[in-house]
Amino acid sequence: MKNVRGTEALLLSLLEEGVDTIFGYPGGTIMPLYDELFDYKDRFRHILVRHEQGAVHAAEGYARATGRVGVCFATAGPGATNLVTGIADAMLDSTPLVCITAQVTLDKLGTNFFQEADMISITIPVTKWSYQITKASEVAGVMAKAFYIAKNGRPGPVLISFTRNAQLEMTDFAYAFHKPVRFMERSQNLFKFSLIDKACEMINRSDRPLMIIGQGVILSGAEKEVIELAEKGHIPIASTLMGISAVPSSHPLFTGNLGMHGNLAPNMMTQACDLIIAVGMRFSDRVTGDVTKYAPNARIIHIDIDKAELNKVVRADLPILGDAKTVLEQMITGVLFKDRSDWMDFAREKWEMENASVIDRLLEIKEDTVSMAQVVDEIANAGGGDAVIVTDVGQNQMFSARYSKFNKSRSLITSGGLGTMGFGLPAAMGAKLGVPERQVVAILGDGGFQMSVQELGTIMQSQIGVKIVILNNSFLGMVRQWQELFFDKRYSFTSMVNPDFLKIAEAYEIPAKRVVRHCELKDAVREMLECPGPYLLEVVTEREENVFPMVPSGASLDGIIY
Amino acid sequence: MKKTEYIVIAFVNNQVSVLNRITSAYLKRHINIESLNVSESFVKGISTVVISANTSADTIEKVVNQLGNIVDVIYVDYYLQSDLICKELGLYKIASVILDERSYFEYILNRSNGRIIEINNDYIIMEKSGTRNELEKLKEELEKRNVLTSYSRSGIVVLHRESIENMFQKVS
Repeated sequence: MKNVRGTEALLLSLLEEGVDTIFGYPGGTIMPLYDELFDYKDRFRHILVRHEQGAVHAAEGYARATGRVGVCFATAGPGATNLVTGIADAMLDSTPLVCITAQVTLDKLGTNFFQEADMISITIPVTKWSYQITKASEVAGVMAKAFYIAKNGRPGPVLISFTRNAQLEMTDFAYAFHKPVRFMERSQNLFKFSLIDKACEMINRSDRPLMIIGQGVILSGAEKEVIELAEKGHIPIASTLMGISAVPSSHPLFTGNLGMHGNLAPNMMTQACDLIIAVGMRFSDRVTGDVTKYAPNARIIHIDIDKAELNKVVRADLPILGDAKTVLEQMITGVLFKDRSDWMDFAREKWEMENASVIDRLLEIKEDTVSMAQVVDEIANAGGGDAVIVTDVGQNQMFSARYSKFNKSRSLITSGGLGTMGFGLPAAMGAKLGVPERQVVAILGDGGFQMSVQELGTIMQSQIGVKIVILNNSFLGMVRQWQELFFDKRYSFTSMVNPDFLKIAEAYEIPAKRVVRHCELKDAVREMLECPGPYLLEVVTEREENVFPMVPSGASLDGIIY
Repeated sequence: MKKTEYIVIAFVNNQVSVLNRITSAYLKRHINIESLNVSESFVKGISTVVISANTSADTIEKVVNQLGNIVDVIYVDYYLQSDLICKELGLYKIASVILDERSYFEYILNRSNGRIIEINNDYIIMEKSGTRNELEKLKEELEKRNVLTSYSRSGIVVLHRESIENMFQKVS
């Protein structure tokens, strides 16, 4: 058995868990760990970010693109508290993270020591698990448990607070993977087979079923099973924001995206269907609108791995607690083909309505301007649906979700639950480092970009080949849209005076271009995608463009505006 | 929404921060905790947490599901008072002037099934176990006589009428 320092034990544990990339930022209390990392430079790729929030979002992007656990380091106090937004984001979006923050020495805890912040208390509501390591001998066991908890069941963030004395102490190191803990056994695949039979029977009897897929499908790797089940039973599929890309956009049974700014067809189908098969989704208020008027004619089968999600927002007629892939696998044999062409025609009809009233209008070429929809559409066409699209939050996000095309799972990375502005740029860095062979395009607004603009330094230093598209309308666009529609156009503090983004790019040695007219767009997008390294494309868009369709906040899905 | 008293019983690993995680689930939904009791269970290293709060049936079910997601919570469920044997211990510090009315004092002692655990010239300390209502009733009576100088309750100690231990052993 090797006798090592606590810091080395931690790095060895990370190697055991297959970690190759760490996003972090050093500081006083975490210096012993960084000193140890200096000797492990050849085995870890450490990405020095420019702000700890960038580290945690990058770790999220890495985790979402690869399906592996994202890891970040931050020092005690302010370094650690800077992670909180990203941890909360990961909690709501079920992203597996292990965040390691330094902490003051055990015997100084609670004394208001320099840079002391009680991270365990601060992060309790936004972590799946947290633990303060106060002895070096705990490191191996705690790290094994941290990784197990982060990625198993419903994934989520884990925070490890590593006291300075534990970093410096010596310990014997032996690693053993964590054995399932009780709660995990409880929360997975405890469904009875009679439930599967019942679900199949409900599906076979239904004339107008709708399968709603969430990120759970991606997390459980159930993409193939979803398609197989849908094809076998001739069942249309709709996706939540977080489930986008699980099923290729071009699949004939895929009817589009649900939610506040989703497509017309799936939202109206929700209100018209007689059965909802919800897989790995949580009936977020953005998806349901007014819950009391949600899917008035439908019975609901809800498949989820988290017991707390079943019957939380809507009462399911048949809740099934289990892993999406396992449950769907079991269901495929029992589902029979039924011709539901009439129901698919309903979807087609709604698509024609949406095309006529929204899409055609937004994509209509006007010589002097560019619409945000056109930019996303152009990227989708040029990228052929193979790119990973990372968004920020707001109109840029909704346009990206609606106008992008996806061929492959794990291709839309967005902050769904928390709606974190500033997420896009660092998450795109993490994604690109996770899947370097794929094209990664960050589509950002001018507001969100400037919340993380400092990460251009990281992109420069680590030469991360991420493509950055800024949809610049000099407005906080989504808030402005709401002000226009619901606050009598009182544009209270949403107009922005922006710097010259090209000069900023130049300062960071990132090639860049600005587009102001539609005729320049196509070539500029191609140039960006062909550029081997990072690239920044600023598109000056129409100032007051709105995202439609839209379900106003608190309204029923029937009240969708288009 | 109709509010009822629900008693949540959780078996948890005896670990730093578990209690904060549990109370955080109540805080998130803005539910005030009326009574909270943590003690070692019959298994070493595992504590029993008993929390009583007034809320709706729908909400408590969701809170309990969320409590179930806490890694160090081994078993958790919710009950109505009537499902459980609920007892509390009350300690009453009574001014010794009550002894001037000896017959009354004896009557109180007998009727309430109380026990004297300390007595001196100034005060008497009496203990009584019972339901919260019984304890409160005695408190009020002593207050009316103006002899109660201090009073303290333990919080509820519960035992399920069905064997909760059996349920616990099933999952452990």
